[in-house]
Amino acid sequence: MENKYNLKSPAVKRLMKEAAELREPTEHYHAQPLEDNLFEWHFSVRGPSDSDFDGGVYHGRIVLPPEYPMKPPSIILLTANGRFEVGKKICLSISGHHPETWQPSWSIRTALIAIIGFMPTKGEGAIGSLDYTPEERRALAKKSQDFFCEACACSMRTALLPPSPNRDPRPEDHEAQELAQQISFKADSRQVSESAGATSDPPTLSPAENSSPGARDGSEEPLEDQAEVSSLSPPPSAVRSEGPGRPLSPRQRRAHQARQRRETPPPPPHPDAVRRALAGVRGRRQAGSAALILVLTLVLAVLIFRRIYLAQEYKLDYEL
Amino acid sequence: MAEEKQESSRPQGEMEGVNCLAYDEAIIAQQDRIQQEIATSNPLVSDRQPLKVLQNEYAKEDSIYQLKIKDLHKKYSYIRKTRPDGNCFYRAFGFSHLESLLEDSKELQRFKAVATKSKLDLVNEGFTEFTIEDFHNTFMDLIELCEKQPGLQELLGSFNDQNVSDYVVVYLRLLTSGYLQREHGFFQHFIEGGRSVKEFCQQEVEPMSKESDHIHIIALAQALNVSILVEYMDRGEGGTVNHHVFPEGSVPRIFLLYRPGHYDILYK
Repeated sequence: MENKYNLKSPAVKRLMKEAAELREPTEHYHAQPLEDNLFEWHFSVRGPSDSDFDGGVYHGRIVLPPEYPMKPPSIILLTANGRFEVGKKICLSISGHHPETWQPSWSIRTALIAIIGFMPTKGEGAIGSLDYTPEERRALAKKSQDFFCEACACSMRTALLPPSPNRDPRPEDHEAQELAQQISFKADSRQVSESAGATSDPPTLSPAENSSPGARDGSEEPLEDQAEVSSLSPPPSAVRSEGPGRPLSPRQRRAHQARQRRETPPPPPHPDAVRRALAGVRGRRQAGSAALILVLTLVLAVLIFRRIYLAQEYKLDYEL
Repeated sequence: MAEEKQESSRPQGEMEGVNCLAYDEAIIAQQDRIQQEIATSNPLVSDRQPLKVLQNEYAKEDSIYQLKIKDLHKKYSYIRKTRPDGNCFYRAFGFSHLESLLEDSKELQRFKAVATKSKLDLVNEGFTEFTIEDFHNTFMDLIELCEKQPGLQELLGSFNDQNVSDYVVVYLRLLTSGYLQREHGFFQHFIEGGRSVKEFCQQEVEPMSKESDHIHIIALAQALNVSILVEYMDRGEGGTVNHHVFPEGSVPRIFLLYRPGHYDILYK
């Protein structure tokens, strides 16, 4: 494989390292590139023992973009599991569907641990997610061991080290597990902060606050000046409009909308509704003026009629 | 731009399943296109230009900006622009500082020592060594390049090589994140939304294209012990440009121009 790739490419360099790091299977996960393609990997992960996925070993593909690790990997499961759809890119905040939250210092191992960490969480309609019943999941976990992957010639029964008797339910690497929790937690906190404040903007330090405690005495700037500078910190809208990487992911947006629909804060008026309401006001105003014209016309008609009538009466009188 | 996209996606909220997936990919593709458009019209780091190029960027009758540009002229003569891709602060800082090291071997040695040690600090904080070492190596390569006293064009060339340039940005982001987390007791007070410092770093510091605010600047300035002066130019009244030095009271080495959402490099 070494000869086939440009070792100067940062992605190749990095993936070679990751392949070496992940060469030996652990009891929780294993992943290696396909023989003929460094940018496509196959992985196996063990279902957490404290969940409906206990006893399951699940297989899948990881597709790395040429820009890796600047861009995230895509993850696709090949074993039916009841949590992630088979054959479809799945949606973790770590995978290709959330390029804006991917961190270049994460690795394939981070992704594997995130998958394991995500299995027992709720799908909640996210892309590629399934919410099967516990019974179905347990049945699939049992069945998963029979899977054999022809592409990488591995059987799920032997893909991972056998679980040790007193094993942790999840990957032994405490740090990595913490990371996986962070990832899932992050997705949650984001949605919460969005529905709470609509726009969660990066906090801004006012200069008065951000001086380190020791440096404060030496502050030469007059107070007005500081106030001025703090008012110059970027307005949220300006901050938002610059970076193309900034917008919320579609999934977050949908989740946000779903939440809005479900929960208390009344959704902002839809443009159509506004238009309709405006049309109504306009309509009422038009109806009013039409009525006024009608009344005035009637009054005029009555006056003219009376005039004619009076004139005729006069004429009649005259004749009489 | 971001807002527009959000607007246009609103009616799609009702879509489901397969359509969603296609729609997501369409959005990602659109974002890529926008990024490419920005990329073709702006180099990552531009040549040094006379400051008066700024005047042409604003209408003549835009008196607020024209006055402020005049004010800027009193102190600076040149500007070097960076690509507005959300990484501009790190790129501007990185280039500007390495450029200054070409003529200051004493600071170069100090900085090299700090940079060399920084990887160990990050590993001790829990960053995975094999994932951060490529970024660190690229950063060190550039510092070593400066030691060889290359022409400015060579340094500029490296900073315009997307691979190299982005790796430097990643490493500066990691240093910022590492410092914020090390000093979390202090920085926690400035983080809104009930997030921990670690969450803030994972959401606003480490991912690429996340923009920088005061908190990022002060952390990076302190992590590397390099003083940064930022001139703030926006629509505020007053006709003068205000500046702020990070950390406060230090003697600035790096001069940056901030306009809402973007940083460029200034030269005296």
